[in-house]
Amino acid sequence: MSCELAEKGRSGVINPIFTCQPCGAQYASIGIKDCIGIVHGGQGCVMFVRLLFSQHFKESFEIASSSVHEDGAVFGALNRVEAAVDVLLMRYPDVKVVPIISTCCTEVIGDDIDGVVRKLNAGLLKEKFAGREVHLIPVHTPSFVGSMVTGYDVAVRDFVTHFAKKSVPNGKVNIFTGWANPGDVTAIKWILGEMGIEATVLFEIESFDAPVMPSGNTVAHGETTIEDLRGTANAVASIVLNRYEGAKAAAYLEDEFGVPAIICPSPIGIRNTDILVKKLKKLTGKAIPDSVAIKRGIALDALADLTHMFFAEKRVAIYGNPDLVIGLAEFCLDLEMKPVLLLLGDDNAGYAKDPRIKYLLENAGYDIEIVRNADLFVLEDRIKNSGLALDLILGHSKGRFTSIDYGIPMLRVGFPVYDRAGMHRHPVVGYDGAIWLAEQMANTLFTDMEYKKNKEWVLNVW
Amino acid sequence: MPYHLFKCSQCIPEREKHAVIKGPGEDLSMALPLGYLNTIPGSISERGCAYCGAKHVIGTPMKDVIHLSHGPVGCTYDTWQTKRYISDNDNFQLKYTFASDMKEKHIVFGAERLLKDNIKEAFKAFPGIKRMTIYQTCASALIGDDINAIAAEIMEDMPEVDIFVCNSPGFGGPSQSGGHHKINIAWINQKVGTVEPEITSDYVINYVGEYNIQGDQEVMQDYFKRMGIQVLSTFTGNGSYDDLRAMHRAHLNVLECARSAEYICNELRVRYGIPRLDIDGFGFEPLSSSLRKIGLFFGIEDRAQAIIDEETAKWKPELDWYKERLKGKKVCLWPGGSKLWHWAHAIHAEMGVDVVSVYTKFGHQGDMEKGISRCEEGALAIDDPNELEGLEAMETLKPDCIFTGKRPGEVAKKIRVPYLNAHAYHNGPWKGFEGWVRFARDIYNAIYSPVHQLSLVDIRTDEAIGDAGFATRKSFSDANLPEEVKNSETLREYTGKYSIIPDLQAKTHPEFARREPEPAAV
Amino acid sequence: MEDSKERVSQIVDHIMKNCLWQFHSRAWDRLRQNENILGMTAKILLDEKVEIKTPDDKCYWVDAVCLADACRKKFSWISSSSREELADVMASLKERMDFLTVTGSLNEELTDKHY
Repeated sequence: MSCELAEKGRSGVINPIFTCQPCGAQYASIGIKDCIGIVHGGQGCVMFVRLLFSQHFKESFEIASSSVHEDGAVFGALNRVEAAVDVLLMRYPDVKVVPIISTCCTEVIGDDIDGVVRKLNAGLLKEKFAGREVHLIPVHTPSFVGSMVTGYDVAVRDFVTHFAKKSVPNGKVNIFTGWANPGDVTAIKWILGEMGIEATVLFEIESFDAPVMPSGNTVAHGETTIEDLRGTANAVASIVLNRYEGAKAAAYLEDEFGVPAIICPSPIGIRNTDILVKKLKKLTGKAIPDSVAIKRGIALDALADLTHMFFAEKRVAIYGNPDLVIGLAEFCLDLEMKPVLLLLGDDNAGYAKDPRIKYLLENAGYDIEIVRNADLFVLEDRIKNSGLALDLILGHSKGRFTSIDYGIPMLRVGFPVYDRAGMHRHPVVGYDGAIWLAEQMANTLFTDMEYKKNKEWVLNVW
Repeated sequence: MPYHLFKCSQCIPEREKHAVIKGPGEDLSMALPLGYLNTIPGSISERGCAYCGAKHVIGTPMKDVIHLSHGPVGCTYDTWQTKRYISDNDNFQLKYTFASDMKEKHIVFGAERLLKDNIKEAFKAFPGIKRMTIYQTCASALIGDDINAIAAEIMEDMPEVDIFVCNSPGFGGPSQSGGHHKINIAWINQKVGTVEPEITSDYVINYVGEYNIQGDQEVMQDYFKRMGIQVLSTFTGNGSYDDLRAMHRAHLNVLECARSAEYICNELRVRYGIPRLDIDGFGFEPLSSSLRKIGLFFGIEDRAQAIIDEETAKWKPELDWYKERLKGKKVCLWPGGSKLWHWAHAIHAEMGVDVVSVYTKFGHQGDMEKGISRCEEGALAIDDPNELEGLEAMETLKPDCIFTGKRPGEVAKKIRVPYLNAHAYHNGPWKGFEGWVRFARDIYNAIYSPVHQLSLVDIRTDEAIGDAGFATRKSFSDANLPEEVKNSETLREYTGKYSIIPDLQAKTHPEFARREPEPAAV
Repeated sequence: MEDSKERVSQIVDHIMKNCLWQFHSRAWDRLRQNENILGMTAKILLDEKVEIKTPDDKCYWVDAVCLADACRKKFSWISSSSREELADVMASLKERMDFLTVTGSLNEELTDKHY
């Protein structure tokens, strides 16, 4: 038996799992109300990220570019940031929060975005926009460091660092959801609501699922306010649902304001949701109400119909954001499945020390390979060249051709999902997420059984 | 032809010269929007970068090539799987993308070694592929890696492979168009003339500026083959690397998207004496005229005419079915570049719609000259539009449909304007005779969608909504049609399949006898 | 005179709506295209012999044939004009096209020395 955390063994990337840091910072920025970020770099760094978001959500989000061209790359492009802030503020009178998000290009040329923010604060904002609340927040996200996951983590920290302000305790819990979908936020807020816990959810993105209205609203945007962000310093504690996507901010609040940081396992599946609910109870002293127990019971009821008959021993490969991958793997184990290949798409050294990964490797009880700094070609290579047998793939849309070409059923989960409809609307976390995930996995397998005529008659009686 | 300053752009008056309204009796010498200038920072323009113009638009449609970007992973990831340019080799170019994955240590110490390892790994991972294109990015350009030298070293070590290097970092120019330019020139400088092709016909063309969106190239190639013409290469949709190295042997360059590929045609004309013939693959009349010209060039106009007659007879009744129902509908033609002039006149003349606005994200003034010439009076022409200007234009012009990109399409949806994807198409291909009917069908479906009609209702009001359980497109489109049109026995709705490319790929084409070679001079 | 102006403008309108050859990239290309294509079109309309020596000539001729065909089909005055009238119209047309696409053009890229 071999259980290992391996490297992919190639220096380059074939079919990446993640994009780079600025995307993560942009994802965080769209969760904030009255916020339009300026990405300081070439225009593609914004245009394609906006396209990616619109592919995933079928919505458009506003993000600006400083449009660095040749002259800027040679002589420095801070003047482009100054112009961008001016133009953006003139044309968008409601904008209050403007993160200045760096890229590989502007980090390499050494543009001092902190300096230009100081300059703008002292100059332009005072002179031209006096009396208007505007927050310029430098966010350093060079593309050659980390990945979109770390970019998100860094940006959340920078937003919190900028705004968090100690005043009177607000009795709320900070919930850092990590890189979530609207459906996830709804599921978490349902639990908080049932337990009567007041929380600041970072970020309030249920509104990403925006309606078509007769009055014609134009773009989707998040609802987290400046006040929400300020208040994070006055919370009872911070609960981090995805340690790689929000722990930096929680650590800051702990160090700076003494707000305890609680890192939860990603609440994917019944067991991890139980842990979250228990932690919430312990933290707030609020009882776990019947409604939560009933929802849990409904979930267990649904899972019991599926596990032994359909899931047991099914071999699964999972890729995507690290907390999601680990959470899904743990849930699969509870469902009697065998996650055999987990792909983590960046070079974060912390994965080796992650207690969940250690526990997985020590206790899974069968061959399991976890690859750090992986790409999607690792998945294909294991199937094609190492004879890896798989029953199911869990991952985002960028891996769709591996599923299609090798005839392996795949449930779309994570970010981005653009080749299945409406997936952002559904949760993977909480008891609701456990139900949805298990049933979707089952339906995915069922469709495949029918398509391949593989014991399709089993479903005659179920 | 007055310039038009949007209300939302009054605070950036330099925008005024980027939009004009085409007035009666006015001509191009009176006003022309500025174009291809640096973008105004913070304006939320829709432009991309020169890297994507080179790699994403022109490089990657090449089908038998490892496409490797030298830089951090994001450039590669972001430009991967956002297009519908297919190929007849199982879409290798859509499925696989490669990045050297440059990290901080490489920024400090250089990434040439990393690149070299990458190239070897990539060829090892795909032993059947012997061709590679390498794209520079902002990061590798700024640290000064010598990609050409690395490629040369590899080709020395591995004589069976061939590598093309495109140095077009993201910041190189006002938009993706900078990248179109760089890769055109790089290709002719590095690769054209390095392969001698097998000539199988007396009539040999390069088909240039065609990216095989949903199979466009395969539709047009079918016509060429039916005429007995050898398509030596396609630049670059469904194109083959080695075929493109042999471009110098064509008799004629047939140029479709002049915006992205006129450079290489101009160079081929100057360096190899191959004439440049600009054509339109869209619209019955423009396409017929284009095929006729190609036929005339080779003295085989009868073959062209046979195709035109056959296709027109087959598809015109279907096009006209839609034309009757689209007459007078207002559309905004808001693509990236060339489609603004490919479509402006043809959709007006052949589908009856009124183009109330044209815009171009990355076009140059030459594209606006063509676009403004081809659209009707009163149209609003915008260069490098931004988010607010697009909204303001839609609010004032109240179009029935807009043709634009996926993300701006989402903006339009929210103000209840249906959109069609001008870059990737809804249900293409849209080139060719049948394709043009498919385009008309897609416009019709968008405008008369029952769901779209529902979005116009405010459920909170007392407005009567009737008690029908459903509506059909026809119930809206045919409501005010004359009886003879509604009940016409000649007009009919589109009858083609969902997917029309597999049949084309399976098709065998007629063999034409070659001309006797001319007797050698004594 | 007015008649001639109107006729020129009819052909200009046809070219602008339906043709692409007049909008090559640079001023020298446009002048070359106008000169050759309109020159050959005039010869075709006047039933004069067109000399084709090079592939470029062939390409001009192709556009000229199509333009001449379209003019004959669309503009009945072509067949009723005298040779002199027609030659005049075509000369003015060339002048007008040079103006619209080159000398009067606001396209700032026409004078770029490179492609």
